[in-house]
Amino acid sequence: MTAPVAQTSKPERRSVLNWLLGVGLVGWAASVLYPVLRYLRPLSDTGAGGPLKLSAEEVSTLGKSHFVIARAGTRKVIVFEAGGALHALDAKCTHEGCTVQFVPGDSLLWCACHNGKFDLDGRVLSGPPPRPLTKWVATREGDEVTLTMETA
Amino acid sequence: MIETERREAPPSVGERLYRWLDARFRLGRLVEFVRHKEVPVGGHSMVWYYLGGTTLFFFIVQIASGVLLLMYYQPGEATSYESIRYIIARVPFGWLIRSIHCWSAHLMIISLVVHMFSTMILKAYRKPRELTWLTGFGLFGIALGFGFSGYLLPWNELSFFATAVGTDSVKSLPVIGQWLLEVMRGGPDVTINTLYRFFALHIVILPLLIVAVMGAHLLFIQVQGMAPAMRHQRPDRPGLRFFPDFLVRDLLLWLVCLLLLCVLVYLLPYGPGIPGMEWELGKKANPLAPAYPGIKPEWYFLWVYQLLKEFPAHLGPMEGPQAALLLVTVLMAIWALVPFLDRRASRGQSSPMFTDLAVAALIFMAYLTLKAWDIGGGGTATKLPDPRATAWTCAWIVLGVSSAVDLVRFLVYRQRWLAFSGAALLHVALNGVFGVNYLVAGAIAMLVAIAGVVLTSRKNPAAGLEAPK
Repeated sequence: MTAPVAQTSKPERRSVLNWLLGVGLVGWAASVLYPVLRYLRPLSDTGAGGPLKLSAEEVSTLGKSHFVIARAGTRKVIVFEAGGALHALDAKCTHEGCTVQFVPGDSLLWCACHNGKFDLDGRVLSGPPPRPLTKWVATREGDEVTLTMETA
Repeated sequence: MIETERREAPPSVGERLYRWLDARFRLGRLVEFVRHKEVPVGGHSMVWYYLGGTTLFFFIVQIASGVLLLMYYQPGEATSYESIRYIIARVPFGWLIRSIHCWSAHLMIISLVVHMFSTMILKAYRKPRELTWLTGFGLFGIALGFGFSGYLLPWNELSFFATAVGTDSVKSLPVIGQWLLEVMRGGPDVTINTLYRFFALHIVILPLLIVAVMGAHLLFIQVQGMAPAMRHQRPDRPGLRFFPDFLVRDLLLWLVCLLLLCVLVYLLPYGPGIPGMEWELGKKANPLAPAYPGIKPEWYFLWVYQLLKEFPAHLGPMEGPQAALLLVTVLMAIWALVPFLDRRASRGQSSPMFTDLAVAALIFMAYLTLKAWDIGGGGTATKLPDPRATAWTCAWIVLGVSSAVDLVRFLVYRQRWLAFSGAALLHVALNGVFGVNYLVAGAIAMLVAIAGVVLTSRKNPAAGLEAPK
């Protein structure tokens, strides 16, 4: 009588142990992997979107070459003068992330990597970019240029 | 054996060392193995058996020259570009070491690609060598990773934007895209942090990985031997002895490769000047400068680069780059799984469909690559090349060469299954000659290819994917 009981209870005990071992292994792997994966993703910089002042050097570049690209937190913003007004847009092309430039003659923004073209408000005119460039607000007071993110 | 032969003369130092080692590690088994190792002869040219070896040779050159470059290279915002410039301009023979590293990288990829296509066309991947193909495909991926990560290290303008574009396409991966993008770049944009990560990838992670995968690849080849030809299978025919006959030829070819490398490095230290195959240092990367025309990745990525251009901004629910990347992934997956898809070859039967698939792949990539080079577009420093004119010229080049190849296959090799290469040529003709949109032309060609497969498997099941008779 005892023998069959032992035979049926044995595999059960083994399977419980196997299950515990499996859970332990998965838990161990997760506790090793999670910190590594978290470590690999860098901290996101704060400060993007807040008002930003262009440096004197950047303002003089703007005067000389009609446009300047400035850092705003982790983003790049292109500031340019067209039709007497100051415009600012995200400088990163929405296609593959190249940096766009202002073409004063054609009054458009152009990405040289895959020939994407945007109008002065960042809307896609032609080429492969899937989305418009995000707009910023550029204001000039005397010799100072300030950028703020447009809140939609 | 050795003892009975050389009883009188005292054993030489080498012999004593051999015996000492043999007593501990039983080297005799290894010697026996090498003595009986043979390379199959007949059926096709022996040339194709040497290409894995030449790839290995260029890889060894890469390790040696890479380690030498490391002696002076300093990763960093203010040092990466400057230290490379110092290596080229000031360090004695620095230009030589860097040029060798660059040339050998390109020659390694060329050798690897030819090796892969010859394996494909000769069906050397067939059972029981599926895992050799898969590890080889892995090595191909790692080699591309080496190329991509090494490209950024000089921190010059060209490499900066090429890396920005190359890493940006990762973002379209579902779920992990954004995470992977930031992990690769060390932030949302390409910065010096990206260079640090690529440096670690290039000199630590990828070398460790490639040694492991290459070890498996070589082990499989040692255990199974090299694949005999499909046609003309005669197991009774004696092969070429590996040691010393094959090895001596192998080493001789390595010497030829070294000479070729020296001549190229001497004549063209900064590369042939083809876009995607030049390594003039140029200007230092400036993350705040706009991209300029003519930014292109290395030549072996050009077909993907051009494909990204061919896709519209949106395609159905997907964004253009996302759809393009999906297409590349699907094509690569098919390529990796060829040994499992090609069931006829696995039974030792000829499978013309997969020969034609390899030719079609070449036509597909050649057309895109030529277009990426703007051949016939008439672009100048101030004027952008005309995409229509480029497509027209490239199409005629591809159509001319490929039709000739298909004609030779038809007449000389008596190959009758040409639906895939025919469809690829139709794609090129529709897009380049008749100006049909690239994707529309591609869809039409795809239908023709599928019709070819369906018709063949109906008419003659033995030629298709299905089980014969």
